[in-house]
Amino acid sequence: MANSLWGTAVAVAAKDLRIEWRTKTAFASSIVFAVLVLAVFYFSRDPSVVTELDIAPAALWVTFTFAAMLGLNRAFLLEKENRALDGLLLTPVPRTGIFLGKLLGNLGFVVVVELISLPLFAVFFNVRVLHALPQLLAVTAMATLAFVAVGTLLSAMVVRTRFAELMLPILLLPFLVPPIIGAVQTTAGILAGRPLSDFAGWLRLLGAFDIAFVTVCFLLFEATVEE
Amino acid sequence: MERNVAVRSLTRGWALTLSALLGLALVYVRAALFTPIEGTQGPAQKIFYVHVPSAWASLLAFAVTGVLSLLYLRRREHKLDTIADASAEVGLVFGVVMLTTGPIWGKTIWGAWWAWDAKLTSTLFLFLLFVGYKVLRGAVVDPETRARFSAVIGILALVLVPFIYFSVLMFRTLHPAPPVLRAGAPTLPGAMLITLLLSVLVFSVLYVGFLMLRYCLSVLRELREEEAADGIS
Amino acid sequence: MSRTDPALRVRNVSRKFGYRYVLKDVSFNLLGGEALLLIGHNGAGKTTLIRLLAGLLKPSDGSVDRFGSIGMVAHDSMLYDSLTARENLQFYSRLYGGVESARVNELLQTMGLEEHADRRVATYSRGMAQRLTLARAMLSDPQLLLLDEPLTGLDDTASGLVRDMIAELRTRNRAVVLATHQLADVVDIVSDVGYLVAGRLKAVEPMDGRAAQAISARYREIARDG
Repeated sequence: MANSLWGTAVAVAAKDLRIEWRTKTAFASSIVFAVLVLAVFYFSRDPSVVTELDIAPAALWVTFTFAAMLGLNRAFLLEKENRALDGLLLTPVPRTGIFLGKLLGNLGFVVVVELISLPLFAVFFNVRVLHALPQLLAVTAMATLAFVAVGTLLSAMVVRTRFAELMLPILLLPFLVPPIIGAVQTTAGILAGRPLSDFAGWLRLLGAFDIAFVTVCFLLFEATVEE
Repeated sequence: MERNVAVRSLTRGWALTLSALLGLALVYVRAALFTPIEGTQGPAQKIFYVHVPSAWASLLAFAVTGVLSLLYLRRREHKLDTIADASAEVGLVFGVVMLTTGPIWGKTIWGAWWAWDAKLTSTLFLFLLFVGYKVLRGAVVDPETRARFSAVIGILALVLVPFIYFSVLMFRTLHPAPPVLRAGAPTLPGAMLITLLLSVLVFSVLYVGFLMLRYCLSVLRELREEEAADGIS
Repeated sequence: MSRTDPALRVRNVSRKFGYRYVLKDVSFNLLGGEALLLIGHNGAGKTTLIRLLAGLLKPSDGSVDRFGSIGMVAHDSMLYDSLTARENLQFYSRLYGGVESARVNELLQTMGLEEHADRRVATYSRGMAQRLTLARAMLSDPQLLLLDEPLTGLDDTASGLVRDMIAELRTRNRAVVLATHQLADVVDIVSDVGYLVAGRLKAVEPMDGRAAQAISARYREIARDG
């Protein structure tokens, strides 16, 4: 009778995305936020000294991560409302399946936000991205995975504390340092037209970070939901 | 733990802390008067004997918290969480010493208050993570939930630090620092090395003393709350 | 499952919140076909005990053995407000390993919700949400049904549904644990009664056809004697 890991995950993720599609609150605020950050970044420089291209990679990654962070708490807030998480825990599903579902749902959310922010970024910063799109998407995926995994795990805890909205950024931001450094370096190179092979070191770092944190988050999730 | 046991350990903690403080005074007399002045850095190098051991003690404290977090999730003994919390707090105290003496030293030696090198950056983020650890603890009411949640943070921090260290290291290699920043640590002459090792030893004892004091304090506080709770029911 | 099979075995269960015991040394067994009514003042530990039985809380000491799937109705609906009634049930069906959609329709019908099945739960009244909660709890055709104040917000018709549901489960040798203040509505459909006083299960007795007043009087007597 017990359900499989992936079956559970797909059901949970589909449910989350359906709810998000219906309400669009987190989604709309993340997109608006992304536009605002891009605009603020554009003007926060001296155009005669710092070119658009110089500031572009940083603008892109600060936008991605902060816009994503707005949506991360939402996943477990849904489960807290009416204590739906209890309902999930009562069913005979593996608990890691619930985590995987939440992770997939959050990744879906973040990826959509990123896919909408990217063309906006290209237009606002007058950067040509089409020629390097596959590389850019690969790096984005690698840099996004681990921090969404950590964010998902943390949100499972912080939604059940006081000051939840405040707590997530404080706890999550340190985990953004390695992926942000790697992603910005690599993005700058990609936009300058250099091949991905120049960044093998950074890609290895991003890959190792993904493997380490996705694994650790899976192992730790159980400890965040039992009572 | 019974009240008597806690009180006895408290006394032992005080004894340890006071002897460490005495040792500290002796080490600084040695550092100030009987250790040669370093050639290139001058007297400013003396701050070394505070900065390095406090960095050591703070890292030791956070590592202990991380390991105890792991043990807590395996064994679920309340005591492990209490010690982990005490260690995190003591680590923050040493962390403040490290993060204030570092820039003072840096300003005189490097000419800059702050340098984003791998060691400084990873200890700064470690410090911030454990501030988050304490904030999270303050936001959870049930002790058992609090223990689980903070153990998760402790373990995540343990995994994160090497990544921050290496990513900053790679960042610096890519963008070499100005030459002043690359003074590096020359091999220390014998007398200085002994003073440094002595100060590290004394700070380690001080850490253990603080840890015991903080732990006993938690135990006594819990005993009081337990008595208050018994009074209600 | 037959009438003599155990449905639930609770041994010396205690639960602390912080430094305070909310439940202390609770033990009882439940067989298939039995329905246990838990009574106790507010704060006596009814909700904690039911959450422990469901496995949503871990005991600080002791053990709870369950035999088969569990359905639960608690104070919170465990439903998603932005989904429709049907979507909620379909989602839970998937987690229960693919309950047939015929069963979802049947439950919606039994609970009198088929006309509103495609409305969002957010638009439901308290009573409608409670009926949907019952449907959700019944989805997996549970071996053990846990009900914490299931009659709150229900009108007479819906209360009748709950009573019928419990009676029907018992004929199929399913077990039920029920906590409620509305004794008069349930005394004739349960087999046993447990008296919870300040976190201790003081006694479990067969109902023997007693009326609500007799049960209340017995509770006061047990609570007074300590």
